[in-house]
Amino acid sequence: MHSICETQRYIYQTEGVCPPEIHFCIQANILRDVRFVGGGCPGNAQLVSRLLNERPITEVLELLNGITCRNDTSCPQQLAEAIEAAQGGRIEPAYSFKVYTDPLPRNRMALIGNLDGNSDILAALLRDIRQEGVETVVCLGNLTGASCDDNKLFQVIKKEGLLAVQGELDWRYAQGTESTAFAPLEQTQRDRLVRLPQLITFRIADKTGIGFYGAYLQDLPGFSDFEPFALEINMVTGLTQFLQDESVFPALESMTAQFEAQVIVFSQIQKWGTWHIGGVDFISLGPAFDGNRIMWGLLAEGAEKIDFKIIKKSNVRRIV
Amino acid sequence: MAKSVRALPDDIQKLIEVNEWDMRTREGIKRFRELRAKSLPSVALDEELVYESLIPGQEELSDEIIRRHRKKNDS
Repeated sequence: MHSICETQRYIYQTEGVCPPEIHFCIQANILRDVRFVGGGCPGNAQLVSRLLNERPITEVLELLNGITCRNDTSCPQQLAEAIEAAQGGRIEPAYSFKVYTDPLPRNRMALIGNLDGNSDILAALLRDIRQEGVETVVCLGNLTGASCDDNKLFQVIKKEGLLAVQGELDWRYAQGTESTAFAPLEQTQRDRLVRLPQLITFRIADKTGIGFYGAYLQDLPGFSDFEPFALEINMVTGLTQFLQDESVFPALESMTAQFEAQVIVFSQIQKWGTWHIGGVDFISLGPAFDGNRIMWGLLAEGAEKIDFKIIKKSNVRRIV
Repeated sequence: MAKSVRALPDDIQKLIEVNEWDMRTREGIKRFRELRAKSLPSVALDEELVYESLIPGQEELSDEIIRRHRKKNDS
């Protein structure tokens, strides 16, 4: 149960308009942080967000209702419907982090760590991965980075149907808060990033697995220690410092019985590692490229447990 | 763990202030790390980790609380 003063965040799937999603927050009947995501006129959308920010819902609905553009609806009309759906309980508040559930059980998965925005590295990885008969490829972030090749990278991800999870830098780009040390992105690319899930769940060898980047999830507005998979995130990031502090493994083992996931993959520290503690497999992904070799992880169903192999290949075509 | 502390006799309860942290929470984890605990359950008395991986018996815990209380009042 949330108090009236708590901020509720919503994601609305639109119909008949250019942006497929509208994200917004409501706190004490005040509208905040509206964002039309994934299409439409970004300039007008940003203006609408600024004009509506911090305004009472009752005022906002009077302004939005009755505007048409195409398909007998419009972005303002869709926002009005989204707000009414939220108030009427027809859409649930979104978790603080966005979760994607892989619908099919898997036997072999490829896991990729930090890509640093480099599409050549991704292409080289995919050439190697295709030889291993994997069923799905998951990129755990960051996708973006110092390499100025993000647009091509997004095209490859989309074309190949890869599952991409938002890393911390990806999130900062999506919010427009990336460091000036990184090249700016177009709004359409930022919208692509904002729509990425921040945690993926999957099934492998009858086990539930989760993959996420790292600790930034705890800084997302509304993060609750009690929402699904928050315990796993807290244990990996806060308690064990990404499984780097072995002294607290006894405490971790005491807590694993409360986990929903039995396989937990993360990529923030960019160091390869595997641990089996309290019946749970923990996997830390290293970077996709170490200057000499491309690297990825093969997660597969084994005879009695899951198997994880780090695949490293050198002698790839020159990657800048 | 907290139950066994709250089950202490009233005269012992009067000597102590009980704080319980939930290890599922970020606050609990932060406190766990501040105390440099390694396993659960853990009991700290006056910021000092005294019991780990075990729940002390009522008598032992009462004796330790009284001993510390006397030491504080004597000094």
